[in-house]
This record gives sequence, structure tokens and C-alpha cells, in this order.
Amino acid sequence: MNGLLAIYSKELITYFRSPIAYFLISSFLVGTGYFYIYNVFSTGTATMEMTFRDMAFLLMVLTPVLTMRIFSGEYSGKTMELLIALPISTWQIVIGKYLGAVTILLIMTAATFVNLIPMFLYGNPHITNIISGYLGFILLGMASISIGQLYSALTKNQIVAALLTLPTLLGFWWVGHLQNMQTNLFFRELLGYLAFSFHYGDLIRGLLRSEAIAYYILVSMTSLILTTNYIKWRR
Amino acid sequence: MNPSAISLVNVSKRYGPKEIIKNISFEVMPGEILGFLGPNGAGKTTTIKMIAGTTTATSGTVSVKGLDMSTQQELGAKKIGYLPEHPPLYDVFQVKGYLHFIARAKKVPKKRVKQSLDQVISACKLEKVTKSEIYKLSKGYRQRLGLAQALIGDPEVLLLDEPTSGLDPGQIQETRDVIKQCGVKQSVLLSTHILTEVTLLCARVAIINEGKLLAIDTPSGLRQASEQSNRVSLLVSGNVENLKIALKEIDDIQKVDVFKQDKDKVLIVCHLNSNNDTENIIAKLATEKTKLYQLERHGPTLENVFLQYIKKGKNSKEKK
Repeated sequence: MNGLLAIYSKELITYFRSPIAYFLISSFLVGTGYFYIYNVFSTGTATMEMTFRDMAFLLMVLTPVLTMRIFSGEYSGKTMELLIALPISTWQIVIGKYLGAVTILLIMTAATFVNLIPMFLYGNPHITNIISGYLGFILLGMASISIGQLYSALTKNQIVAALLTLPTLLGFWWVGHLQNMQTNLFFRELLGYLAFSFHYGDLIRGLLRSEAIAYYILVSMTSLILTTNYIKWRR
Repeated sequence: MNPSAISLVNVSKRYGPKEIIKNISFEVMPGEILGFLGPNGAGKTTTIKMIAGTTTATSGTVSVKGLDMSTQQELGAKKIGYLPEHPPLYDVFQVKGYLHFIARAKKVPKKRVKQSLDQVISACKLEKVTKSEIYKLSKGYRQRLGLAQALIGDPEVLLLDEPTSGLDPGQIQETRDVIKQCGVKQSVLLSTHILTEVTLLCARVAIINEGKLLAIDTPSGLRQASEQSNRVSLLVSGNVENLKIALKEIDDIQKVDVFKQDKDKVLIVCHLNSNNDTENIIAKLATEKTKLYQLERHGPTLENVFLQYIKKGKNSKEKK
């Protein structure tokens, strides 16, 4: 556990001693603020549903920036050899790094709570919908980070890692649209089930389905297991 | 149980079709500094990586303190301090913060972290830069910080891949002193290009080229086993031709070369089979009534021995 915590704190120091964390948090807040003002103030409806949808899009764009350096940076900085030579298991390295990126996601998410103040002051929003929406956003973020981390483990070039992550995440978001092209019921359902947007749509509408939660956890776990095994195999 | 600190038994490493390491075996004993010599691309770094557990052997067994590094890497890593060829540093960290991270990752008990950090900072002379960001450090300091991280946690085995590269002469001397101190209780595998370093620090030397272990012995043992003869050079004047004939009569002399130096002086170089026939040469000098200005003995240097092994390896490959 010590090793995992050492990696986790190293990751946080790395994020905050470089411009990445500040760039990500500020870009996300500016974007979210814009969408929030547009969705809530211009329509006059005290709901976060549309804002959550826009936040998800922002997340897709920013996740590659958050994850691209996780392993690629270690390869190019020739520090991966040090990590592997330390008495830390591969899964501790992977989870420690993953939790570091998830912490940035949580900080980004928590910073948007400020948007809720005027909503509760001047409107009457459904608190359960908001909680469910935030849970969906965090789960979506965790799944996206795990995919980005996998790509980062596959290449030592950070730009390549980012360029592979972005279309994959967008693909997962839009794969549900292919449903309309399918006549086979099984494939129609499968494509819907595979789409990030399908499960996220339920959660931001306040439908807290275990199926949706299980889906995001499954995606995250699969990516993390693949990352761990890839790094072990790379030895 | 095998008492060796590091043990390689019939180890090979293959990257695709290319065999980088070819069936090598050697041991490093506790408290021993083993010099690892070889030209660029010989396989030194790959061998060290296999011992550190950052890459696995295709066949054979690599063990550290009896732990198989392919299956018990995490346990073995606790016993190893590893300085790779390029010091593995995080530029955004401060020196002390970085060493603190390494101490935590090496699971140094909390109570001992401060003491351990102070020890390595003092040993590697990093006191002046403890609060500096790593990206601001000079190459010499970066190398010393790399060595400091390897020393944290008092590892039983030290793997040092060219630890003095990029250092100035003063820093090289200080680093050698640190390594020498480590060699008292730790086992050190020292990969280097600097042959003087090997002579000064190492109890034994392993020579590797093209993935094959060519020789392993003490530096003096390697010199003795060398095919290159010992030489005695004489700067003389007088009846040189007679002296040359007389010297050739000595059984131990393989060959005598004569080089004219100036008007009356001549340099005679005698190639000997063994180390101990200088007395006979002096006796001949006395009988042949020549005037001796200078007498020097030359043994084969470690450089010559090293080059000879490398050349021999290449020749045998060409013959095949």
C-alpha cells in the first residue's frame, strides 16, 4: 500500500508542479461556466441536465490532455525503468497513477459546485437528479481516464497517446448512433449498451441504474487490467 | 543455498530474432565490486537491466540474494539499488522531495527516512542543492542524485551503469570513494568504460562483447593470462650487435627489437615469456661491456588486455 501511496503523491506533485493541472481545471471551469450560463440563465430552467451533457463533451476533449503523460512521460523521461526497478508491484503503479488523474477529475468536478449556488438560491432544482448527474459525470470521467491511461502505456509519444484517446472516447460516445443502421435486435441493443452517452443520459436524468454504474466500472477495470498486463508483458 | 549476491546462470536475452545476450553465467559475491567491461552495444546495460528486473531473461536464471528476478522481482527489488545509464529523475521535483519519494517507494520505515536521506545527501555531496528543482541541476549533480537514489534504503546489491559519466575529475574521485565505501558491505556491479576505474575499484573484472562473456578474473589475473608478452626496454650504447646476439640466447626472450635513438644510443626491446628474467638481461649487459642509460619493464596494461579480448572475440567470429 505504501508503494501505491508513494506513486499517487508523486503523480499529484507532477500535475501541480507543471501547468497541466492548472490548464485543465481552468479550461474546464471556463467551459462549464459558459455552458451553465447559456443553459440555465438563457432558458430560465433550474436543471443541470443540459449542462451535464456539455460537461461530458468537455471531458472527452480534456481527458487526453490529462492522461497523455501518465506513462508516455515516464517512457520519454527514462523514469519508467526506475518505477519498475522499485519494490512496487505493477498494479500498484497503475492504480497509483490512475488515482492521481482521478483526483484531478474530482477537483475539476468539485470546482463546478459553485454553479449550484445561484440555482438553489433562485430556483428549485431536483437534488437527486443533480447527485445522480454528478455521479454519472465522475464515472464517465473514470472510464475515460482508464482508456487514456491505456493508450499512454502503449506509446512513448504523448501526442500520439492523446491523438488515440480522443477518437476512442468520441467513438464510445457516439457508437450508439450506429443503432439506427442495425436491423438485428441483438446488435442494436449491444451498440446502445456500449455507448457512453446511453448510460450517461440515464444518470443525468436522475435514473440511477445499477446497469449504468456497472458498465462504467467494467470499462475502467478492463482498461486498468489491460494496462497492467501490457506493462508486465513489456518487461 | 547459493551464497552469492548476484547469480546469472546460462542467461540469454533475445529481442525478436536478435540474440543480445548469449548464454552468460557469472556471480558476484557479498562485499565484492565486480567491474563490467565492454564496448558500446556489448550487452552490459541489458545484463544490468535483467539483474534489476526491468527486463526478463529469455532463458536462464537471474537471481539476487537467492531470489529469482523473473518471478520474485518485487522481493528482489528491495535488495537492489539501481542507477541506470541515464539517471531517472523527475525534473519538476525538488532534490529532497525526489529522494523522499524514493524512500517511500522503497518502503524505508518512516522513522528512518530522515536519517537515510541525510546519509545519502552527505555521501553524494548534495547538501548545497537539496532545495533546488531537479531541472536546474548541472549534469554532475544529476548523476550524483541518481547515485543517491540508488543508495537509499541501504540496499545489499548495487547496480551502477556508468556512474561517473559526465562528472568532472573531482566529482569522479568523490563518486569512486562512495562506491569503494559501498563495496565494503554491499555487492556492487559496476559497468564502466573507464579502465582506470576498474583497476582502482574492482576486485574482479568481467569482459563482455557481443553478448558473450569473454573473461572474468582479477585485474592482475587477466594481465597474467594475457597472451601479450612482458617487455623490457634498454637504452644502451657500445657493442650493440653482440649484446643482441647474447640476449637472444636467453631462453625466456621471444624476440629482440632494436631501434636507433641517436648517434650512439640504441633502444633494445626484449619480449619476454614470463615476468622474471630481468636478472639474466642485466648479467648479459655486464658481460657485453655496453653502457646502460635506462632500463624499463613494461607489463601488459588492462587496456591492452581488454582490447586483446575484444579482438580475439572478433577474430573467432570471422573465422566461423
